[in-house]
Amino acid sequence: MKLKRQPWMLALPATLLLLFFFMAPLVFAFVKNLFEAGLVNYIKFFSDGFYRGILITTILVALKVTLFSLLLGYPAAYYIARTRSRIRNLLLIATIFPFLVSALVRAYGWMVILGDSGLLNQVLIALHVTHQPLKILYTVNGVIIGLVHLLTPYMILSIASVLQNIDGNLEMASQSLGANRWQTFTRILFPLSLPGVITGCILVFTLSMTSFVTPKLLGGSTVKLMSTMVYQEVQVTFNWPMASAISFIMLFTIIAILLISNLLTKTTMSKLEGAGESA
Amino acid sequence: MRENRELFIEMITFAVYFFLIAPIVVVVLASFSPASFLKFPPDRISFRWYANVFNANGFVEAFVNSLALAVTATFIDAVIGVASAICVVRYSFKGKTFLTNFLISPLFLPTITFGFVLLQIFSMTSSVSIFERLLIGHAVVILPYIIRNVTASLTGFEWSLEEAAMSLGATPLQSFFKVTLPLIKPGVVAGCLFAFLYSLDEVTLAAFLTGPTFVTLPMRILTYMEFSFDPTLAAISTLLILISLICVAALEKLVGFDVFLK
Repeated sequence: MKLKRQPWMLALPATLLLLFFFMAPLVFAFVKNLFEAGLVNYIKFFSDGFYRGILITTILVALKVTLFSLLLGYPAAYYIARTRSRIRNLLLIATIFPFLVSALVRAYGWMVILGDSGLLNQVLIALHVTHQPLKILYTVNGVIIGLVHLLTPYMILSIASVLQNIDGNLEMASQSLGANRWQTFTRILFPLSLPGVITGCILVFTLSMTSFVTPKLLGGSTVKLMSTMVYQEVQVTFNWPMASAISFIMLFTIIAILLISNLLTKTTMSKLEGAGESA
Repeated sequence: MRENRELFIEMITFAVYFFLIAPIVVVVLASFSPASFLKFPPDRISFRWYANVFNANGFVEAFVNSLALAVTATFIDAVIGVASAICVVRYSFKGKTFLTNFLISPLFLPTITFGFVLLQIFSMTSSVSIFERLLIGHAVVILPYIIRNVTASLTGFEWSLEEAAMSLGATPLQSFFKVTLPLIKPGVVAGCLFAFLYSLDEVTLAAFLTGPTFVTLPMRILTYMEFSFDPTLAAISTLLILISLICVAALEKLVGFDVFLK
């Protein structure tokens, strides 16, 4: 009976855990760093050429990863949402399964494939496509491949969950009214699936900006991204104030992206609803 | 025309899944390679790298550490996560949406930021053991997985069942354990499986918080990689993949995979 009067008490242990060990440490570390070092490191991050280069690489990598996983994820999501064959369940398993395999193991798999004497180069040299092994591991391209692999399942699930609720008859109606396949896609299917595309892109972009294991293993010491830079400033150069500045810039960027995307999804949704009413 | 296009999408889809599964298959194949460098296809099968995993190297100790950590963190979060999921689904009160968002907020935080923040906090004290440091970090980051899955399985739950049990004389605790919990079990188990695997494989927090006295399995793998790149890594990875496979089978049996499309 007491529980009924104070339902919030059920959430009390979890709330306290997050307040004490999540929110409080975050605020404390942020404020402590501001008092000790001021904004010097934040300014340095955006003005110093070295750090600005890292920022630009990080954003470019995240954009490329988002684009590639959209290009790979959309057709796969479409197939999952539309197929009636029994292979659907198998594909769903193949989408979920990589989620549950450690990022470390998956990055290791790519190291085995992409290394100088790795599987890919062995095949390419055997087929006389190339004589010199291709340098992919420990380059930005290696990191991009690993991240696309890591994050495409998020894109597939985000898009498929929206696509499967779009009536397939809409596509047929559009075509029977004279639209070709491409017009049907660009004018009907893609706009309707936009909420899923936006959710997927936001997820993949933010996760690729902040992921650590994949760039650390596949980028080696040559590829410098914000996440690996935080680690390096902490464990190698012992420049904790700079590490703190970079890690909070990452946090604020994520918060900004989530807030903007929230607005964006709301406006798309209301537009779609508006279109539905006028139609 | 129509057939061609379907075929085209089907081919892209299979190429995408080949890309998604290939590295995992490669790791498994590499673990049976007899040579110390990785060669495809292997000429014969060898189990020497599996023997290597269990001989010295500290992989087994690290696995026991990781298992203890993952089980403890998952158990704590299962209890407090189910309680708070019931709170936000069953009752309506002021600030409910805010509380729900707050409870899943660790999901959106860069783990690397959180790891470094915890390192800064714990570097001011020596009274918290490494196990406890990792436990605190893991308990925070896996909580959203449990809350989300349990919340999903509670939505649409017939709360009158609990009331019926209580009107028949069950105490609130009895009605929870005998009526509610068995009905939402799939969601709880799915959430716990995700949380458990996340904790078992977690590297980012561990990179900041482990020390010589307590090393988790992913950290042991990472440090081993710095000195050697032999297929012992493939063998231990294959064992981890096997654990993931068992969890996938359990998930499929318990909840099915269509929940992920909702």
